[in-house]
Amino acid sequence: MSQPGQRAPALSPVLLLGFALRPAPKPALQAAASLAMAALLRGHRSVFERLEGLANRDFLIDPVDLPFRFHLSAALPSPRLRILGEDEEPAAPVAATIKGSLPALIDLLEGRVDGDALFFSRALAVEGDMGAVVALRNAVDGADIALTEDLLRPLGPFGGPARGLLRAGGMLYRRAERDLETLRAALVAPVQRRCDSQEAKLRDLDETVANMPTRRRERQS
Amino acid sequence: MTGGALELVCPAGTPASLRAAVDAGADAIYLGFRDETNARNFPGLNFSRDELADGIKYAGSKGVKVLVAINTYPRAGNPGPWRAAVDDAARLGAWAVILADIGLLDYARQNHPDLRRHLSVQASAANAQAIKFYCDEFGVKRVVLPRVLTVDEIARINDAVEVETEVFAFGGMCVMAEGRCLLSSYATGESPNMNGVCSPAEHIHYEERDGQLVSRLGDFTINKFREGEPAGYPTLCKGRFRACSRDSYLFEEPVSLDVSNILPDLMKAGVTALKIEGRQRGKAYVAQVVSAFRRAVDAAARGEQPDTADLASITEGGQQSTGAYEKGWR
Ligand code: SF4
Repeated sequence: MSQPGQRAPALSPVLLLGFALRPAPKPALQAAASLAMAALLRGHRSVFERLEGLANRDFLIDPVDLPFRFHLSAALPSPRLRILGEDEEPAAPVAATIKGSLPALIDLLEGRVDGDALFFSRALAVEGDMGAVVALRNAVDGADIALTEDLLRPLGPFGGPARGLLRAGGMLYRRAERDLETLRAALVAPVQRRCDSQEAKLRDLDETVANMPTRRRERQS
Repeated sequence: MTGGALELVCPAGTPASLRAAVDAGADAIYLGFRDETNARNFPGLNFSRDELADGIKYAGSKGVKVLVAINTYPRAGNPGPWRAAVDDAARLGAWAVILADIGLLDYARQNHPDLRRHLSVQASAANAQAIKFYCDEFGVKRVVLPRVLTVDEIARINDAVEVETEVFAFGGMCVMAEGRCLLSSYATGESPNMNGVCSPAEHIHYEERDGQLVSRLGDFTINKFREGEPAGYPTLCKGRFRACSRDSYLFEEPVSLDVSNILPDLMKAGVTALKIEGRQRGKAYVAQVVSAFRRAVDAAARGEQPDTADLASITEGGQQSTGAYEKGWR
């Protein structure tokens, strides 16, 4: 993978959530991941069927704003999603690693954004077998995955209140995102001002050099 | 041929993309079977027979036509899968098949005379004589023109032939006559015509080196992108190479073809249909491009100047070009 992990992730509610989840016991996270996987297999078996031609169907999914990663083994009959700690390596060799912020990865999973566009804009980074990545992207994109609905479907009539709770959570999330953006802008404002003034000085210098008569420029160089 | 409202022919790599394209305002959808018979034989992509049947039903319910691309060349001694694809497209009620091989065109004409035959861009018919040959011999009703012609050249072809023409409107820029470029074969052993893919994903590697994103195709470094610079797919013709001690895009920059601002000219040139490229792209892309082009085509039909500025975010390298149509690079 190109290494966006070396860059600092953006300040976001998911990043803060990641800090909050750091002490969470791994078995609890693993149970949640297994539930999500079971829901995906129940509702979207075609995703896994579309991958059947691939030699290696293991992927490492790395949400850069969370303190853990996912090892996806997409081979039927029993695909699995394992939680890995930050320094933990997958138990089997993976075909490819996909890195991005959690919201970007969820948008991709639900087909709300174009994977190529995310990649071209550098919001997503990929390392390993690009053929496998393209196959996974195509398979996921071909299914109409709606994560919340897929997870709530087994709850039947109890899904209603849960849906309401999630909607409220979503609103809180969006507000937190706006507030954090304001905070980020306030924190970087002094540095940004300094950068702007340096940039303006560089532009002036460029112009001065460009306007110098050629002879003088040659003599000086 | 005379100018009129342009038909919007849109890509679908999966049933979800088909529904997205239909809902976004496509007039027709083109797609392929999940095998070597079509020129986008990518893993995880394309349609099973059952999916095609469902797709035709969904599209038909909204008045949208489905075209099946069977546009690779049958392997010597094994025409079976290609003929079966034509038979199944006819049986399931496809509006047309898009073919390139003359043997297969003949098979379709003999066995399914009522099934519309379109000539794939893979056949590279780029002059009136070649097009007339396909029409006279195989009853071709529409020709997809290679992306190497100017608008004037297209107008002259349309004046000289009776058949409908379809041109590429948006998506990847292939700067050579289709199927006659050997760059991909040279670097990877796989070619657009035989394997249905140029610069295949299996041969691509991205890596971070000294703060730059380096893209490679096979053993060749194709490009390096600075931090924050929009990246591109390492297609060989869009690589940045060193020549005369200068790094530059020798053939073409990583741009997307976009004809939205010359739609009125294409109408005047007698073009029947616009093809949006991208069966390998996701449904979000398909929905965005198709709805933008729906608006643009409708505006052009009303005599207004179309505007698709909102397409910039999904173009390769964040740049658009009218390619050969305005002869900028030729
Ligand atoms: S290398 Fe470029 S010109 Fe050649 S087939 Fe590929 S896209 Fe077309």
